[in-house]
Amino acid sequence: MGSEILGIEYVFPDKKVTNEDLSSQFPDYDFSKFQKKVGISERYVVEEETALDLAIKACEKLFQRFDKNKIDFILYCSQSPEYFLPSTACILQDKIGVSKNTGAFDFNLGCSGYTYGISIAKSLIESKQCKNVLLVTSETYSRYINEKDMSNKAIFGDAASATLIGDSSESKIFDFLFGTDGSGYKKLIVRNGASKNNYNANAEEKVYGSGNSYTDNNLFMDGPEIFNFTLESIPGFVEEVLEKNKLEKQDIDQFIYHQANAFLLDTLRKRSKIEKDNFFINMHGGNTVSSTIPIALKEYSQTIENKQKIALIGFGVGLSWSGGIVEINKKL
Amino acid sequence: MTKQEFLAELKENLEIESEFNFDTKLQELEEWDSMTAMVLIGYVSENFDTILTSDDIESFNTVNDIIEKIGLAKFS
Repeated sequence: MGSEILGIEYVFPDKKVTNEDLSSQFPDYDFSKFQKKVGISERYVVEEETALDLAIKACEKLFQRFDKNKIDFILYCSQSPEYFLPSTACILQDKIGVSKNTGAFDFNLGCSGYTYGISIAKSLIESKQCKNVLLVTSETYSRYINEKDMSNKAIFGDAASATLIGDSSESKIFDFLFGTDGSGYKKLIVRNGASKNNYNANAEEKVYGSGNSYTDNNLFMDGPEIFNFTLESIPGFVEEVLEKNKLEKQDIDQFIYHQANAFLLDTLRKRSKIEKDNFFINMHGGNTVSSTIPIALKEYSQTIENKQKIALIGFGVGLSWSGGIVEINKKL
Repeated sequence: MTKQEFLAELKENLEIESEFNFDTKLQELEEWDSMTAMVLIGYVSENFDTILTSDDIESFNTVNDIIEKIGLAKFS
């Protein structure tokens, strides 16, 4: 008795923002250097749509291939909820027309969310509480980012993904591990608008990094500190994940990390002495938070012909990280 | 690595085209931005096993300050 990933779909919003578009807003900045180092040439942002709207689209795409009537649990990962309450997952259940005999809840995580979701799905299935879990990630960070925050506008993109995880005679989702360091909560944060601080229409404009502006109503990221956190935490964590699964680095066909930025990923790759061929880097659509791993896993799976072991590693806002090993033998 | 080699590698990695020496005021360089900070953190962690914080980077005036932070003992 085990569980496996059966299929993945993802969607971007319609509006594409290229580096040329950003150059016209920020003419003093050299985006060719950004493209070369960070690896992002385009990202997509919502106009009127919400994260829930994107999530519905991703689910409907998945239901073109899979029977939605078999779904008995919805896990919805987002930091862009539709309302304070109810859980967006409940609204999603109705909008996509999934059975009422379905468990559904939101969980608020960012870049570590997808790997958390896979592990929760595995636990629900392998403890025989359900059979088919719909794991949805959806994020619209563009709505939190200040119009004059060039760095974050360049890095983050909006997207949603939908993954079906089902029971299986063979165990194809192996062991996952987790990590948390809440002392770093201020390093990536939207301060206003929830319980602690009200949204403030007159919030003071602040400047950071390369002349970027933001207010406490907006998303703030201390880039160098987030970079340091990953350098300090992730290489050791990857070793722990391998050890937990009694595997060696060379047993892993592909390492798929949260696609944060190409330079960061390559630095992590070198720190862990992983060959380029075994390490996925594709910044298509930018850093889409909890959707980068499912997007990357789907894209990578298009090349799979035989059974492969893949390490999935998520890390970011929280600070929070998680990861584990899955086995995939087909295009997802 | 000698200090001179460090200076040359830094210039190359950070893609600095203007004049660059031990006393160049880093904050005044046209190339000095948040991406430079990221590349600097990556380069120093890879070569010296030292993690630079964003406070460190803000406090750097010149390359000599970076060398001091990394530790003179790590240079030949």
